[in-house]
Amino acid sequence: MSISIRVPSLGESVVEGTVARWLVAEGDSVTLDQIIVELTTDKVDVEIPSPGAGVIQKILVAVDDVVEVGAELAIIDESGAAAGVAKAAVFASAASAASVASSPSASRAVTSKGTTSSPRTSDPVPPPPTPLAQRAASAANIDTAQVSGTGAHGRVTQRDVIAQTAVPAPAAAPSQAAASRTPVRRAQAPAMGAAIEEGDRVIPMSRLRKLVADHMVYSKRTSPHVGTVAEIDMSAVADLRRANKARFEELHGVSLTFLPFIVHAVVRALRENPALNASVVEDAIVEKRAINIGIAVETEKGLMVPVVRDVDRLSLAGLASAREDLSARARNKKLSADDLRGGTFTITNPGRKGNLYGFAIINQPQVGILRVGEMVKRPVVRTFGGEDAIVIRQMMHLALSYDHRAVDGAPANSFLYRVRELLESAEFDL
Amino acid sequence: MSASASANVPLRRVSVAPRLRVEWLGEVVYAKGLVLQHEAIEAVRSGGEDRLLLLEHPPVITLGRSSSAAHLLESEESLNARGIEVVSVPRGGDVTYHGRGQLVGYLIVNLRARGPVDVHRHLRDLEAALIDATATFGIASRAVAGRTGVFIETEPGSPDRKLASIGVGVRHWISHHGFALNVDIDLCEFDAIVPCGLADIEMTSLAREGAGSGPEFAAAVRDGVTNAFRARFGTVASRS
Repeated sequence: MSISIRVPSLGESVVEGTVARWLVAEGDSVTLDQIIVELTTDKVDVEIPSPGAGVIQKILVAVDDVVEVGAELAIIDESGAAAGVAKAAVFASAASAASVASSPSASRAVTSKGTTSSPRTSDPVPPPPTPLAQRAASAANIDTAQVSGTGAHGRVTQRDVIAQTAVPAPAAAPSQAAASRTPVRRAQAPAMGAAIEEGDRVIPMSRLRKLVADHMVYSKRTSPHVGTVAEIDMSAVADLRRANKARFEELHGVSLTFLPFIVHAVVRALRENPALNASVVEDAIVEKRAINIGIAVETEKGLMVPVVRDVDRLSLAGLASAREDLSARARNKKLSADDLRGGTFTITNPGRKGNLYGFAIINQPQVGILRVGEMVKRPVVRTFGGEDAIVIRQMMHLALSYDHRAVDGAPANSFLYRVRELLESAEFDL
Repeated sequence: MSASASANVPLRRVSVAPRLRVEWLGEVVYAKGLVLQHEAIEAVRSGGEDRLLLLEHPPVITLGRSSSAAHLLESEESLNARGIEVVSVPRGGDVTYHGRGQLVGYLIVNLRARGPVDVHRHLRDLEAALIDATATFGIASRAVAGRTGVFIETEPGSPDRKLASIGVGVRHWISHHGFALNVDIDLCEFDAIVPCGLADIEMTSLAREGAGSGPEFAAAVRDGVTNAFRARFGTVASRS
């Protein structure tokens, strides 16, 4: 059995690193947790430990290569028997490279240099497919020469081969393709048994997708999510907005949407209910002093949550500009790491197609997230001078997901109720 | 419906006692500092408290892996003759200078105990803690996007002055190295190097910025740094 050493997740804003140093060479035996390779990202050197014991079968990236989170760095052969063979083969190839071997004491270093730097130095011909790719290819009866490689220097990886198997097979050999696909599939997703059928489109997850995926699983596993929904009459806010829209835009150069009103109400309610502006840190609850609101934005690349800092110090106009700036930069891929960190509460606004309401997953380590539902005119009952009447109002749902480890129903509900009160009374300074 | 009725698992709302052990080690030669860090990493790895080692190095220039000779403006012999050691270290980054009057902090923290590992957040937290600490002496320092470290903002057009350098390593998901804060260091010594390859950055110190000087001030800085780091890194309750 082989295991891959991959670039681990190093943080929300870290998408890639540079290989700084290999501490092992191909053919070396390694133990679990032994430091294998060092990566550099920004001003941090991170040593990557081995996920298992075995023999380094293949080193896939060279020093100074830029590697993405999730990228394969090396392959470890867990079966001890293959050790000697692998080592011998590697030495042979290093010797045939000839140019590198100068001092015998450097043979280890030479080995890794000879095998890893050759793709970098010379011609544009990609390096041979990875062993896993070769195995997958032969199982699927695919010629690796026909597969376009996405690995380092165009190298064909196992993922490329799997992607290739999902490309509609030629009509002539469907049964063969179907039969031979099985082992490939098993190698990729042993536990799930997810079937890739003919004609299916296989989309490898982007770095961001993987980060989002990991975060969602982490959050769901960490926090018992509880949901509560408020139905809010936005008519007063709508009136206020209509009355001030033109003047506001002229004065501040940003359009006045509903979101700043909602954010402002949330911030005021958070100030009054600090339990929702908090984090769980081990067995303590940390109520945050600052109120930094993450506002989820769907971008071309995927979901981003830029953070507006110290929102309680911002006017409605300041908030509107800050948010416009952040979403513009999110869409133009101009966000910095700092724009994404430090949130203490998150608001997600799926926009016009957001449907009635829904429950978002908490953005860890926060304890609450508010999802804005669609705003529609609805007949509701109001009492005028003791008489009930059916009137048409702008109604909207706000759905709060909260972490029941930290927040009980009572504070969560009074927080959301307060948001509703603030929006329905529409007392905002414009 | 709310599941509040089921909240019978006691979760105490506690004010967490600082869990960051801070030690002032006085003057420590650079190589000895590496050994102390190694020991601290092993201690944290086997479940010990996170710690901040505060110390001063006798004059030393460290060359990171990406250091180029161009960043050394004086020959090694001449530096040695002046009592400045030159050490190559297996880390990224460029040239740094450490000397008396500079507070070095090695922050040994189990990153995994703080949720998913986030090395950039760790850097930003280091910067923020230093900014908090300098604020207690009336110095408004700041972080600069794209440049790790802590800086003093200057007039528009002139270069920022660098107050503290930051560099971090991670082993077994435990951070090491940390920061070097110029307290009352002889800034002329930096002329032997171009700090961290940033030719357009001038070094400064708390003393030069007018915050104070002398041994009492140095002790006050250590207290300020201790408090700021405890506030930012000390709130992880240990698994008991």
